[in-house]
Amino acid sequence: MPILKIDGKDIEVPVGTSIIEAAKKAGIEIPHYCYHPGLSVAGNCRMCLVEVEKFPKLQISCYTPVTEGMVVHTQSERVKDAQQAVLEFLLVNHPLDCPVCDQSGECELQNYYMKYGLYDSRLMEDKVKKHKAVSIGPTVMLDGERCVLCSRCVRFCDEVTHTHEMGIVNRGDRAEIEVAPGKEVDNDYSGNVVDICPVGALTDKDFRFKCRVWFLAQTPSVCPGCSRGCNIEIHWNKERPYQTPGERVMRLKPRFNADVNKFWICDEGRYNYHWIDQGRLLKPMQKRRGVPHEVSWEEAFGTLSGLFLRPQEMGVIVSTDMTNGDLAMAQQLFVSELKVKNVAYQWIRKSGKEDELLMKADKTPNTRGAQALGFEDRSGEIYEQIEKGQIKILFLFGHNLMEILGKDQAEKMRSHLETLVILGPHAHEGINLADWALPSAVYAEKNGTFTNFEGRVQKISKAFPPMGMAKSEREILKEMARQAGIHINLTV
Amino acid sequence: MQAKFQMSSELKTELDKIVSQYETKQAALLPVLNLAQEKYGSISPEIESWVADYLQLPLMKVREVVSFYTLFHAEQKGKHHFQMCRNMSCMLRGCEEMIEYLKERLKLEDGQTSQDRCFSLSTVECLAACEMAPMMQLNDRYVGPLTKESIDQILKEIEINN
Ligand code: SF4
Ligand code: SF4
Ligand code: FES
Ligand code: FES
Repeated sequence: MPILKIDGKDIEVPVGTSIIEAAKKAGIEIPHYCYHPGLSVAGNCRMCLVEVEKFPKLQISCYTPVTEGMVVHTQSERVKDAQQAVLEFLLVNHPLDCPVCDQSGECELQNYYMKYGLYDSRLMEDKVKKHKAVSIGPTVMLDGERCVLCSRCVRFCDEVTHTHEMGIVNRGDRAEIEVAPGKEVDNDYSGNVVDICPVGALTDKDFRFKCRVWFLAQTPSVCPGCSRGCNIEIHWNKERPYQTPGERVMRLKPRFNADVNKFWICDEGRYNYHWIDQGRLLKPMQKRRGVPHEVSWEEAFGTLSGLFLRPQEMGVIVSTDMTNGDLAMAQQLFVSELKVKNVAYQWIRKSGKEDELLMKADKTPNTRGAQALGFEDRSGEIYEQIEKGQIKILFLFGHNLMEILGKDQAEKMRSHLETLVILGPHAHEGINLADWALPSAVYAEKNGTFTNFEGRVQKISKAFPPMGMAKSEREILKEMARQAGIHINLTV
Repeated sequence: MQAKFQMSSELKTELDKIVSQYETKQAALLPVLNLAQEKYGSISPEIESWVADYLQLPLMKVREVVSFYTLFHAEQKGKHHFQMCRNMSCMLRGCEEMIEYLKERLKLEDGQTSQDRCFSLSTVECLAACEMAPMMQLNDRYVGPLTKESIDQILKEIEINN
């Protein structure tokens, strides 16, 4: 492996590594626009110029491979001049109205200007005008004047989704991003073009002008949208909650994982968060003479733990939305301790689209985890036994019987049961069937793990506390068990 | 729905021949566009998508190329197409004045065609004839260095021949 020197540091990298990647490895940042490690190299922005000894001209570090004994300078006067000149070019026709641009705060033009620019404008001419606020797809907006023509978005549509919607038309200072006539940027991964756009040219209709990015907190998590388990960051409004009342999550962003999702997430996963804060079940409810009443957790635990004396009449259906910790607690309590026979998992959502890139048909995050803990897909048998009158008590996690069985069948099922306990984060029509409705936390409100379809166990972190009085399933079950004199200590 | 564009079979045979000379179909894009424009007078959106299908290229790649070169145009041009170079060398040698003068003489703005379809005026990028700066391409002919007098002369010749 060649050894080279960058800014005086010796670095050893595999043959064929570009200078920019070698520098990254050594913790040296080289500014760049068009280069993206998930795409082919375009070499068009010239922001990444570096000085290589024995080369007469500056070299673009994104394209130049390292060689044995190479000596690279990223901080020399020549490099600094070049960086300044490139920025000046890129900003010649730029509107420079950052205060009204939604990218402000996470824009590489802003960042690099402050770091590598800091020149005074010499522009006396009028700026070239281009198309602004153009809707180029169901989720993406284009501002032609903010674009630096790095072509990342074009390469994404060519190389990752192979849908070829985007291109750069015209030439010179009139060049612009355009979408093929009659087409839109409407593929299963279109939101990613916004992530990789280094400037404010592409913005997301779902997010733009909703919240300034510097008010956001970031919490690493895993997308619960399917069994791939793409790594994500939850961006939530931490500092100005009153500006987006009742909505904490502002957007989901992909988090790099070389083995699972690389740099990307699908649109289904990306926009799959509005439900987090909508229609939540906020307090434990008990139905008394047909009317739901709010109760305290103590009352709920006290009464429900009494049911543990009748495990033979009990059925438990967990959901593959639950974390491994929640499932393990259910397994310990119902299977190991109470010896309940009728325990199963059920998919909470119907299966959906699957593709070669990321999307998996199983639209729940933790089927493998449930299987690993011994749960089986036997909910059908449980429904049969309810109808036969063998199961009188059902603990149902997160499911909506109305949706699964249809209204009539669900009501019939209900009539065979003595007690129906539903634990779930959301209020829905199926909740009205329950004798007990216990509010549980959603994935963004808890720590834990999901096991993806390959068996990879991945960590999710709690972004914010559960809404209302909600608790994780794990806590609810643990407390209920304690009331019944059963002490469970889980290490997962 | 409008009928799908049909390339003339004569031209198609010619195009097939060109394409077969390249290692990949896609590489023949420029000559194919060139011949198509020669035959039809412009590259219409229909021709663009025909070429994309023919060379198995995404439509956007064809659009990128067509829009990059001033050589290709989407509208039909007049009988005498004045393409005035506006690039570096020509600009240093005074093309701006020549362009203004021609606009005045033809009573046309950049990109316009006269109503009788006799004249079109466009400004274009370097035509690789900087030694003739300031210069223009009049249909297939390179003319330069231009002066107001030489422009007058050219217009007079056209008038006589008409
Ligand atoms: S829109 Fe953004 S990603 Fe696309 S070329 Fe312009 S700056 Fe680059
Ligand atoms: S592929 Fe699956 S896990 Fe990845 S973002 Fe889409 S829904 Fe989420
Ligand atoms: S990052 Fe190297 S040229 Fe753009
Ligand atoms: S600049 Fe006009 S021909 Fe080159």
